[in-house]
Amino acid sequence: MKADSIEIWRQGLWDNNPGLVQLLGLCPLLAVTGTAVNGLGLGLATLFVLVMSNLAVSAMRAVIKPEIRIPVFVLVIATLVTVVDLVMQAWFSSLSATLGIFIPLIVTNCTILGRAEAFASRRPIGDALIDGLAQGTGFAAVLIVLGAAREIIGRGTLMADAHLLFGDWARALEITFLPQQTGLLLAVLPPGAFIGLGLMVAARNRIIRARAERSQTADQTHPQAA
Amino acid sequence: MLKTLLTLGLIGLLAAALLSGVHLATRDRIASEQQRQALATLNQLVPESGYDNELIEDSFSAWIPGLSTPSTIYRARMDSEPVALLADVTTPDGYSGDIRLLVGLAPDGEVIGVRVLEHRETPGLGDQIELKRSDWIGQFAGKSLGNPPAPAWAADRRGGAFDTLSSATITSSAVIEAVRNVLAWYSANRDNAFEIKAESNHRSNPGSGDSGNP
Repeated sequence: MKADSIEIWRQGLWDNNPGLVQLLGLCPLLAVTGTAVNGLGLGLATLFVLVMSNLAVSAMRAVIKPEIRIPVFVLVIATLVTVVDLVMQAWFSSLSATLGIFIPLIVTNCTILGRAEAFASRRPIGDALIDGLAQGTGFAAVLIVLGAAREIIGRGTLMADAHLLFGDWARALEITFLPQQTGLLLAVLPPGAFIGLGLMVAARNRIIRARAERSQTADQTHPQAA
Repeated sequence: MLKTLLTLGLIGLLAAALLSGVHLATRDRIASEQQRQALATLNQLVPESGYDNELIEDSFSAWIPGLSTPSTIYRARMDSEPVALLADVTTPDGYSGDIRLLVGLAPDGEVIGVRVLEHRETPGLGDQIELKRSDWIGQFAGKSLGNPPAPAWAADRRGGAFDTLSSATITSSAVIEAVRNVLAWYSANRDNAFEIKAESNHRSNPGSGDSGNP
């Protein structure tokens, strides 16, 4: 892999993560992460839309004049989201019933318009593809981690309802940590989403600071390395 | 300028073409999926072997006092004899808005069972009305308007004969009262409930959800 694409992956997953750093797409992010499966479902749908919209925008970037770029981006994104919505209704109807209103809301996820404007409209298709994958994976990872944490703390289970996404065999994926109704209700309710996301952002900042301090001490002990 | 507009128009056309293609490809599948879900919901209360008519088609809309929006009433028959009446009703009195229920009645007015189709009650408290979370909803089976008598159709925390979910009195009462309202409506319409002509285009299917309606 080229150094360039490694950098794009690093941006999407950590340095410029849409959920933890850009804090974009908070509405779906906070609203659906009551369970890990919901997070995974919305994460996959967003990943797909992001990749396709990046590809389409990058492929058309030569013919799109700056004056019409925003309507074109919105048109592309809205079309893709409608396609995802219809496909989910047809083949994943029970999940579609759960995620229902949040799929159309992907249209309003600023991450997608943001990547179209800031990245895909200026870079070749290959880079745009990697950027879509990286940003989408970064967003999905936040959704899954937050969903899993809230589900474990609030309901005492993990991967409940996985059969909505993967079919009946996936019922076996459910893990029960606590007997029913002993979880901390707050985690599943909306405040739990804000608190959970806040803790994740704080944890990320702490890791970054710890790293910076370590490299500083390393610089002091070996001044010639700097 | 003209060229710019043409570009925009062309992209719009492409998008429209793509969407109509996907619509055509998924239309039948979505319709049959909704039909299947609707039937699966109804079959929770009346097993498939228990009737031989087109359950989904044999339905009509009714305004039931105390419940919001026209309710859809389905009728199950075996050899043209009434087997069960299934009411897809919505009560506005939940703790966080509407609760959509399916109430199954035997022709003699006895409750076959009740299922929750949609709700937004508090996770961990009010969501115990779901069968997969607790068996609270099962207490209605076998009850009717005389058993217990009408005044006792209330939560026990409010002096009635039915269990109350702890910390969810409002949710429990909403469900109990909705079932009572359906029973009251049926006892008033008992003579013609199985006679009313089926409407071909009823409003909604159970289980189809409100996915297009944020």
